[in-house]
Amino acid sequence: MKFVQFLNQTIKKELLTFDDKVVMYGQNVDAASCLSGLTRGMSAIENVVPSNSQNSENMLVGNGFGMMLNGVSSIFFMKQLDFLLLGIDQITNTYNIIRQHEPSASFTIFPVTVDSGYEGPQAILNNIESFCSIADIDAYSFTNNIDSALILEKYLLKPGFRVLSSGQRLLQSDLLELELVYKDLNLNFLQYSSGEDACILCLNHSLPYGLELQKKLLITGRTASIFSINTHSDFNSEFILNEIKKTNKVVLIDDSRGHNSSLKNLSLKIHQSIPNSKVIDLVRNKSERLLKPYEDLMKVDYNAVLKFLISNNIK
Amino acid sequence: MTYLKENILREIIWLRLSQIYINDLYKKGDFKIPIHLAMGHESIAVSVDHAMKESDSLFLTHRNIHYNLARLKVLKEDLDEYYLKDCGLGGGMLGSMNLNNLNKGIIYSSSILGNNLCVGSGYAFANKVIGNKGVVIIVTGDGAIEEGAFYETLLFLSSNKLPTIIIVENNGWSLGTKIDERRGKIDLKGLSNSLGVDYTHLSGNDPFEYLKNIQSVREKALINNAPVVVEVELSTLGHWTLHNEDNPNGKFINYHAGPAPEVNLNKNFPLLEESNSDPLYVLQAYMKKEELLVLAEEEMEKIISEIR
Repeated sequence: MKFVQFLNQTIKKELLTFDDKVVMYGQNVDAASCLSGLTRGMSAIENVVPSNSQNSENMLVGNGFGMMLNGVSSIFFMKQLDFLLLGIDQITNTYNIIRQHEPSASFTIFPVTVDSGYEGPQAILNNIESFCSIADIDAYSFTNNIDSALILEKYLLKPGFRVLSSGQRLLQSDLLELELVYKDLNLNFLQYSSGEDACILCLNHSLPYGLELQKKLLITGRTASIFSINTHSDFNSEFILNEIKKTNKVVLIDDSRGHNSSLKNLSLKIHQSIPNSKVIDLVRNKSERLLKPYEDLMKVDYNAVLKFLISNNIK
Repeated sequence: MTYLKENILREIIWLRLSQIYINDLYKKGDFKIPIHLAMGHESIAVSVDHAMKESDSLFLTHRNIHYNLARLKVLKEDLDEYYLKDCGLGGGMLGSMNLNNLNKGIIYSSSILGNNLCVGSGYAFANKVIGNKGVVIIVTGDGAIEEGAFYETLLFLSSNKLPTIIIVENNGWSLGTKIDERRGKIDLKGLSNSLGVDYTHLSGNDPFEYLKNIQSVREKALINNAPVVVEVELSTLGHWTLHNEDNPNGKFINYHAGPAPEVNLNKNFPLLEESNSDPLYVLQAYMKKEELLVLAEEEMEKIISEIR
């Protein structure tokens, strides 16, 4: 099963169990490919009001807040995250007024984050962190069966506003099927395995890289705890810090292209709380500018990471 | 003169006096927040207030004092909000540019040019989804119609057949620039009609003509399930002449926000212009000047006793 099919099923499940009407809107949500299958079949659900919208993202974001003020919940699906740039004024200003009072309705914007350089220059914006940072909003991203199901169940139709997203590349990939070891109460992070030799923390859509590293480490007879960091805001990292203290070896992976990644905050917290920890940050080469279409996968030198972990007296 | 007619005259005078009262406090440095006074906008605000039904809702701009006061009909709560007091209309959280009043159907006021158009149209769409009747009235200006959001909103309202009134208060200025100093002409009627939206033009500040027109436009919006654009020509009064080294002969400054330095509270009739651009001047067609002066004295007394 492709990840997009799983998300489609999960969202439909949430819509079916929701008591009130939900306006599902955005370009092509109920036409043509239905956003490459993401919204397919949702309009058939009784309480769903579908609206194939015009291309007016600033207005459509404002619409969502207007519906929220009128007690109507909505989900604005967006094929590519960069369209949300046109709505940032509404997110920054309108929401900051609306949030003064607890809303009775829900408004979720669900953009697909473009993380393939073949799509063009918009791939430079390959995470939702910047939106979260500009307007101080709640935002969650997901990559697999566990985090997507839990986050959609908790947040998709919860009163209030948030942005939920996953990566375009992942959506068309086979579903990553994992098992849950631990979940943070607010789903800011989730743990999928518990290991004895290192801790791997994956931000944005980098979980596949973390799983690959974990696999290579296992070949050497070593195990790693693996986490996804799903929130793009600051969060209570005490649980993760305690987990790191067990091995004092941590690998932070972030495939974001932005310069204000929360990896820096997390890395700082680890250094401050566990001064003797060995930390390696795997990030994109920010000097590689996206000037022409290309695959834009993050280059990870797994051998170098393994060497670093092993040379730091890992088992 | 009927009771309703006299009431409308009183409300326009009271609205002017209330703003001059606020202006006096503003000049003393009483407010930390920016306030955009709307002297000269009284006729349209009072007309909209009288045309609105309980099921209707109003979405305003940063310059919203005239609608907020016209709907509220008392000054103190509004004033307390400008002082950011807990007992203010918005609990001291909204200030002036975002001031709303849910009890009076003012759902949202945006400090950002054009944002209320989008929020209002979403509210109107939600009305349709949940089967609420009533008209959504969105106020905007000749500056905001330059934003893409204006076009996007008209298209959305028309496409979704939403009963709405878009009131474009055209005062000819955006901040410190006149229309012809910043852009080419917008044929608002042509633009509206091209999107299948009806258009009505109001000018002259006659509150009774305005009320009749707004009532009729409201009916039309409801019957046709469609938006209507109402362009209102008006002047934002309170201009002054700046004299400094760069402008030894004086420079005309159109009022935008803040205190109007040359507008003062006094015992005379609070007229600011001897022309139809001042809604209070227009009232003389309906009542003698001496009678209007009596009304003004009574309304001023009302304000003083309320604030006291």
